[in-house]
Amino acid sequence: MAENVAFKHIEKTSMIGKRIKKPDAPAKAIGKTRYINDMVLPQMLYGKILHAGRPHAEIISIDTSEAEKLAGVHLVITAKDTPDLKLGFVKDNAPLKSKVLCERDEVAAVAAISEAIAAAAIKLIKVSYKDLPGVFSAEEGLKADAPQIQENFPGNKSLKFEFKHGDLAEAEAGSDIILDHVFNVHYVTHCCMGTSCAIADFDHNGKLTIYSQTQYPYNYKMDLAPALGIDPGDIRVIQPTTGGSFGAKLDVYPYEPVAAILARKTGRPVKVLFDREEEFINSPTRQPAAIHLRTGCTSDGILTFRSADVLMDNGAYTSWGPTVPVIMMRTVSGHYRVPVIDFKAQAVYSNNAYAGSFRGYGNVQMTYATAQHMDMFAEELSEKYGMDPIEFHLKNAQKSGEVTPQKSYLRECVLAECLTTAAEASDYVNKHKSYTEARAQEGRYKRGIGLASSIHNAGGAKIHKSDGCGTILKMDDYARVTVITGASEIGQGIDAVISQIVSEELGVPPEHVTLVNNDSDIGPWDVGVHASRTTFIAGNGAKRAAIKAKEQILAAASKQANVTAEELDLRGGYVVQDKDGAAVIRLDRMLRQMHFQPTPDVVMVSDYYEPNSELEGKDHISDHSAAYSHAVHIAEVMVDTLTGEVKVEKVTMAQDVGRVINQMGLEAQMEGGLAFGLGFALSEEMIFEEGRLLNPNFRDYKVPTAPEMPEIEMHFIESDCEEGPYGAKGIAELPTIVVAPAIANAVYNATGIRFLNPPMNPEKVARAIWEKKQADS
Amino acid sequence: MSEIERYIAPKKLDDALEALAGGPVTIVAGATDLTPQITGGKLSYKATLMNIQHIEGLNAVTKKGGTKKDGKIRIGALVTVSEIRGNHMLKNHAGILCQAADHFASEQIRNAATIGGNICNASPAGDMIIPFLALGASAELARWQDGSIETRSVPLDEFFTGPGRNMARDDELLTAVTFDVPPENSIGLFRKSGPRPALEISTVSMGISGELTEGTLKNVRVAFGAVGPTALRGKLTEAALEGKILNQEVIQAAALAARKDVSPIDDIRATKWYRTHLIGVFTEELLNNVCQN
Ligand SMILES: Cc1cc2nc3c(=O)[nH]c(=O)nc-3n(C[C@H](O)[C@H](O)[C@H](O)COP(=O)(O)OP(=O)(O)OC[C@H]3O[C@@H](n4cnc5c(N)ncnc54)[C@H](O)[C@@H]3O)c2cc1C
Repeated sequence: MAENVAFKHIEKTSMIGKRIKKPDAPAKAIGKTRYINDMVLPQMLYGKILHAGRPHAEIISIDTSEAEKLAGVHLVITAKDTPDLKLGFVKDNAPLKSKVLCERDEVAAVAAISEAIAAAAIKLIKVSYKDLPGVFSAEEGLKADAPQIQENFPGNKSLKFEFKHGDLAEAEAGSDIILDHVFNVHYVTHCCMGTSCAIADFDHNGKLTIYSQTQYPYNYKMDLAPALGIDPGDIRVIQPTTGGSFGAKLDVYPYEPVAAILARKTGRPVKVLFDREEEFINSPTRQPAAIHLRTGCTSDGILTFRSADVLMDNGAYTSWGPTVPVIMMRTVSGHYRVPVIDFKAQAVYSNNAYAGSFRGYGNVQMTYATAQHMDMFAEELSEKYGMDPIEFHLKNAQKSGEVTPQKSYLRECVLAECLTTAAEASDYVNKHKSYTEARAQEGRYKRGIGLASSIHNAGGAKIHKSDGCGTILKMDDYARVTVITGASEIGQGIDAVISQIVSEELGVPPEHVTLVNNDSDIGPWDVGVHASRTTFIAGNGAKRAAIKAKEQILAAASKQANVTAEELDLRGGYVVQDKDGAAVIRLDRMLRQMHFQPTPDVVMVSDYYEPNSELEGKDHISDHSAAYSHAVHIAEVMVDTLTGEVKVEKVTMAQDVGRVINQMGLEAQMEGGLAFGLGFALSEEMIFEEGRLLNPNFRDYKVPTAPEMPEIEMHFIESDCEEGPYGAKGIAELPTIVVAPAIANAVYNATGIRFLNPPMNPEKVARAIWEKKQADS
Repeated sequence: MSEIERYIAPKKLDDALEALAGGPVTIVAGATDLTPQITGGKLSYKATLMNIQHIEGLNAVTKKGGTKKDGKIRIGALVTVSEIRGNHMLKNHAGILCQAADHFASEQIRNAATIGGNICNASPAGDMIIPFLALGASAELARWQDGSIETRSVPLDEFFTGPGRNMARDDELLTAVTFDVPPENSIGLFRKSGPRPALEISTVSMGISGELTEGTLKNVRVAFGAVGPTALRGKLTEAALEGKILNQEVIQAAALAARKDVSPIDDIRATKWYRTHLIGVFTEELLNNVCQN
């Protein structure tokens, strides 16, 4: 029965900035979600890997005969079964090893009918090793007589980066204050709740289907193929729900080709799943670094130069970890107006764990250093010349339209607004002054307040040849929308954002939008979830596809209603008159009419969005992101000067988000990002002794717990990014990047002690305070 | 991991003790220590796994008599840390136990963890051990002997023989912990430290109890955790306090004595320096709290 639409009027409203629930949240909350870790395929075998458990050794012999004899074991493989297969973007890694270069090294693998049998079989493999002297730090690795780790990398030298701009000697001569410190940023790891898992399955045509937690499914095919000796086109990647990634799944790691090799040889699906201890030992870490930072400033508080010399322990193999200088150098050269830059970074092979990508990507490390130097200048300028600390920051803060020495074009730059907003909201200047005065007084508990800020790419980062994303959008006869996007969902919330954007454009409820994005045979290309890029890039793609669909529908409706398409709009499930919202026809009816006619007109559109950024390039001079954003964090702490416990009581954040899209998702990213930064600052630390991890468990590797979360006050500054969807910028990494140095600066304000080497755990803090007391008295 | 050949869950203490007398048995209560130790390869199962959670009569907290010398409190081995935390009688008479329970693990673990397990696990960092030592408690051990139950009582400060080791024989079950009802004028304070406020294994812990009359401490007992191979009594600290009027001088002397009482080690959780430092800090802090209240 035809519905009478006369007299129905629908006002124009907007979804943008609203709080949209994450579609998968209820299922996750009640335990209904099936994660990859829960998956079982018919006939599936369980793969288990034998790890070396020693840092550097020749493998003299491997005897797998006992393991093979165990009932239920289908296959045991070693490096002999996988010669010539290489892994990693400098091809220095392999699925199974013929020589041990680090504790985690994969020496053999088993496929069996149960996890317990696979585990038992692993214990029956006898390996005889000849231990070799090892290299356990970057400094040791550079020594002339250091053992050689990787054959193809003489002197243990791995990746190297350099960027220079301006005359350093002149800038030094023109500086009134020069700060010179070495910051040692430690090992931490992602601690995803879902441990690493892959399920591999070959069909009879030799095509591999791999169920993976990867966050970059399309490059993943390219990276996995050489480790299997197959064509990337013969790999289909399916991404079931994962329990967290945070950068840990931005590369292929040996357990993935191992699962595939076991699957190919047994003809059965094979699942490899780490337990928590394996996860700690065999996951990538954040890239540790010794950052020698020198910064100059005039007595007027104008920055003159920055020079950073970064030494990185590469570990035994090269994953994304040692590429982080690409982002570090953007902060050195681009955060605040710094005219002269001298940046170098060198990674050195060792027999330690190796690093991958991790939320913040080098900027967590670098901002820990730069933001403390800014605080040191502010202190000194205020002491010597009475300069207001915020004024110092503002003097050096760039404005919209400025271009950094690396040619990052800061189109919409609101660093100054972020600084003043956070400072005013937290009463920074007054508190800072009164805590400084209170420092000298008696008393066990000391309060402190600290400010830190940073910059980060907020419109992707064109490190690959393409930073784009494909979108396919179709509508059915009931006005339900399916969006097939290249963008992956790893918990960050692109599902909510895309439904919201499509809902905005097509006037349908967000619940009527289905996302398909977990199968590389279906979805079009995307470069992956990283670099805070997905809402920006995939959001733009979804918006452009939805606009195409809308244009198609309105063109058809305009013919029928005898008005121009520009006079029509889509709202609340109807085609309406744009000027007064008067309903013309129900959207689903319109779609059916378009469909069921002699010349069918069905809504199936596609879009490929490539941001207008420039390729990073070898010289690192390019506008590599379509947007840049800033955040300021002000942390307030209470320090127990006897036990050394640091309690973060409150964090006030002001961040340039471009435009709020999903308010709830944004808040969640701020909170989650802050939790990572908090653990990094105060308690998390992988403790290594000669390449062996001593604390591969949550008892001794201390992630923050709920009571440690501070009160968080969020201020979202909307700079209205021209290129971003509705003005939005990428937001997810800055909260992790900025909080740790804000805490360090607050601890200084409370105690008068600088902590150059995180984490600021109770013992370290207590000891430093005690030593200072001894020295002072 | 060796195979479990038999699983039993007796309801009667007799049956449990008979099974213990009959051969190698792994006892399990809340399993919060046992499971991580088995999966971590530190321990393996014996042929029989005996779940003691169903044994009747081991899960009560009782008080007999009053605060005048004759009173006794008895806490069954299966009483959980949560039950201690919420027990009003204990709050009134032995609040130090509730304080320790407050700082114990997390809600889920507290619901499963038994005091019998905490004591028998004999960790130097076992949190319930500290208040029991400060209360002068004894372990009640039972075994099957010639067709009937035989029990003995071992003072807790003699019970622990090393990390993870105690005086209980293979055929003995810990059935309860008992102590005298502390007199009306008693004080009892517990303190524990770790880098996190929740779910933390103690870097060090400390308990103190005694009777306070007109500023003077008597019958002082001090216990320290995670500063030696077992949880231990601080004899030098006790001597520095016994019969003294609590003033700053005495507190300083006690803090100095406490540092001498302990012999911690360096491990990945803390150095010897930090543990010793914290013991001094906590001793001062707890005694200052006594003064203030
Ligand atoms: C996440 C986590 C956090 C924790 N936090 C803390 C903490 O804050 N403080 C702390 O002290 N501990 C902590 N623990 C350790 C543990 O929870 C406690 O020691 C707990 O009290 C053990 O009790 P249970 O009933 O679980 O013992 P079980 O694991 O069942 O047994 C422990 C040992 O005692 C033996 N046993 C148990 N009952 C008896 C009995 N009646 N007679 C003879 N032998 C017996 C068992 O055979 C076993 O060897 C934590 C553990 C976990 C997993």
